[in-house]
Amino acid sequence: MTTPGRPGSPPVRPPGERQEGFVRRVLLRPFRSGRPGTMPAGLVLVIMLLGLSLAMVLNADATLRKSNAKGDGWRNGVASVIATVSDTFQFTFARSRIDQALGKNQGTRIDAAELVRRQQEAEAAQQQADALEAARRPPVIAAPTPAAPVHLWVGGDSITQTLGSSLQRVIATTGVFTSTLDYHVSTGLARPDYFNWPEHLVKDVVPKDQPSILVMMFGANDGQNMTDLQGRGLQRGSPEWLTEYRRRVAATMDLLKSPTNDRLTIWCGPPPMGPGTKVHGMDEINHIIWSEASTRPWIQYFDTWPFFSDTNLQYTLEAPNADGVRRVLRQKDDVHMSVVGADRLSWALLDRISRLVDLSAGHIAPPPSEVAPPSIVERTEIPPTMPGAE
Amino acid sequence: MLFPTIDFAVFFMVVFTGSWLLRPHRVAWRVFILAASLVFYGWWDWGLLYLLLLSIGLNWLFGRLVHRALTPDGDRTPASIWLVRIAVVANLGILGYFKYFSFFVTTITERLNSLGISVSTPVLQIVLPIGISFFTFQAISYVIDIGRGHWRQPLPLLDFAVYLSFFAHLVAGPIVRASEFAPQLDHVPDPRHVRSAEAFMLIFRGMFKKVVISSFLATQIVDPVFRLPGAFGRWEVLWAIYGYAIQIYADFSGYTDIAIGIALLLGIQFPLNFDSPYVATSLQDFWRRWHMTLSRWLRDYLYIPLGGNRGSKLFTYRNLFLVMLLGGLWHGANWTFVAWGCIHGGYLVGERVVKERWVGHEVGLPPRLVTALQWFLTFNVVCLAWVFFRAQSIGGAFDVLWQVVAGSGTDSGVTLLVILVIVGSVASQFVPESVPRRVELWFGRLAPILQIAGLGVGLLLIDALGPEGVAPFIYFQF
Repeated sequence: MTTPGRPGSPPVRPPGERQEGFVRRVLLRPFRSGRPGTMPAGLVLVIMLLGLSLAMVLNADATLRKSNAKGDGWRNGVASVIATVSDTFQFTFARSRIDQALGKNQGTRIDAAELVRRQQEAEAAQQQADALEAARRPPVIAAPTPAAPVHLWVGGDSITQTLGSSLQRVIATTGVFTSTLDYHVSTGLARPDYFNWPEHLVKDVVPKDQPSILVMMFGANDGQNMTDLQGRGLQRGSPEWLTEYRRRVAATMDLLKSPTNDRLTIWCGPPPMGPGTKVHGMDEINHIIWSEASTRPWIQYFDTWPFFSDTNLQYTLEAPNADGVRRVLRQKDDVHMSVVGADRLSWALLDRISRLVDLSAGHIAPPPSEVAPPSIVERTEIPPTMPGAE
Repeated sequence: MLFPTIDFAVFFMVVFTGSWLLRPHRVAWRVFILAASLVFYGWWDWGLLYLLLLSIGLNWLFGRLVHRALTPDGDRTPASIWLVRIAVVANLGILGYFKYFSFFVTTITERLNSLGISVSTPVLQIVLPIGISFFTFQAISYVIDIGRGHWRQPLPLLDFAVYLSFFAHLVAGPIVRASEFAPQLDHVPDPRHVRSAEAFMLIFRGMFKKVVISSFLATQIVDPVFRLPGAFGRWEVLWAIYGYAIQIYADFSGYTDIAIGIALLLGIQFPLNFDSPYVATSLQDFWRRWHMTLSRWLRDYLYIPLGGNRGSKLFTYRNLFLVMLLGGLWHGANWTFVAWGCIHGGYLVGERVVKERWVGHEVGLPPRLVTALQWFLTFNVVCLAWVFFRAQSIGGAFDVLWQVVAGSGTDSGVTLLVILVIVGSVASQFVPESVPRRVELWFGRLAPILQIAGLGVGLLLIDALGPEGVAPFIYFQF
């Protein structure tokens, strides 16, 4: 072994030199080989075995930690024995110091159950984060074509009758929509005992009609007392009433979430009502819908208010369209929309849809006599109350 | 079995001992290495061993049939040509089924559905066998080489089985040719001269690249940014793109370094697979330095058979582009790899056009500045292509690139350490080869006890600096 570079030749010891021990001869003496960078396979094996053993002892704590975390079976037993020996002789000192400096896990005796629990917590947090991330993504609706149109459902209370008819006409001009109108007079979210909208949406609309886009509007009939889940009566407009109404809006929105994220709901807030009507609190309802929709990308809040109000955002019976001609926007009851009012809202809704769904295969050309002037835009923030609103 | 694990360390100790003890015994050594390689492969999934054995049997048989169909002088005959074609189709058929079937079915279904034709397709959960692309390419090269008359005798079954399944290159290359490997089976290396210093340095370098550099960049910047680019600013995204360039290099070349080192300890020499690719000053230069064994495979078995540059300029450009496109598809069934191949192919063609038109022209700039600009451009084109390589979809890649343009320019969360690792890793490629060679020689001259200490402390540092647990190598998926 003293002359590894000369295979086959016996070691030659100069006269007078003392015989060296194995450790000095084989391990401590700088290695000289006839071919630089090479050594006998046996010595390579010794170096690898001892080197790996040294690494195993020095890293014993970390190895046991990883093994515990993985639930490594018999490997766990081996790692535990090595860690015990290493700890006894303080071989893990260097690794602990490095881990400490790097802010990593330290120590050997971390409970396996604790590690599993932490891992489960981390996985749960990750799942929650993933779900949150998925929930943040707006729905993806395939670009419709005349051959493969997108189906739109429009529904709500009686206001939706005129709006729905107008919207059906407007979207039909594009050639890339099919549609269903589904309105129920005197309904809303306040009286599920009279008509249960959430149930109707989930049991009838979604499974049977299978719309990719829903346009809905409630609120005009919801200005009345309600009962909460415990059967207690809630005074209209009271904080408890608002909380309960918010809960119903949120629950309905959640029911409309498509598991495959391919359904979009445009929830129109109710417009301002005429001062002589007995319909109040539309601003509060708008605020609730807007704030709940803002956390749900599958729900798009549509602010109808500016389309039916003056420059001060107060109710107006008539207003000019893009052609400059003033027209009556509401019916005589100051609640329902006129055809003109429904048309200007429908074109605005189509414009909103076109920003969410690729409608390039369709034809969109709103006549100025039917659309609102460009100065009328949705509000970016909906306040809880509007000064002067009825 | 992953290289940087205790399982592999134990496995290798046994293989190293058995291999050197059995080396003088021709058959016993081959049987031992074959068995070890099958254990290594089966450790992932014993159920997929049949595929490796099928590839061994099929290609060995094709090799013999093709050889028999050649003339006595080793010239091709119509029969040999057809047999080679059948062998290539059979290999690509198996590869295609496992790798591309789902991709094509999904793509066709989506296309038909977009045209309004409702098609429901059977859902097949095809598991991609690890390393299938690598051993299939090696098998194809063997049969083609026989068909070209490069072999006087086809390999015996046992030799061919050892060649195709040898564990060090089985799952992620390098793509070794039979003509490089087979002679080493017959040549018994001297057990008194194992190239340990070079091997240890390669293994250390590879482990450091994989466990420390690659994992660090992946967790610190690359994975978070590519998962949700919209949540990051312009500079973070830009550093993540550069970071991925380093990550994939560290990951893949790290694996190759370990593979070459391990083979070297067993007395087997593998070809070089990486040669400081990020110092390249052109894309052509890059492909002479990056995944070199794949590059030469594509050159010899695709580019040249397509006609190479033996035709008009347009013909050459077409071949260049096609090779890169197919090289992209080799990496996987995704449009992102097609885009990656197109970028490389398109740029290579562009480079040729510019060179042919501008060669000999003076641009009026100092030569060093020109070289620096060429390096900068090449590096950034390579990084741009990596964005598509890394992204899950074409849309995802554009999200990342868009964020570089439109993302906010403030509040960069990139730490100094990340920047240092990226810049240092690029800079390290400019270090002359003589420096690591000197380190090897110095290590080789150390007393054995110091080498043992070096090994132990080195592994301590790598394990401490790396994350808890070892992620699979990126190239395992290909």
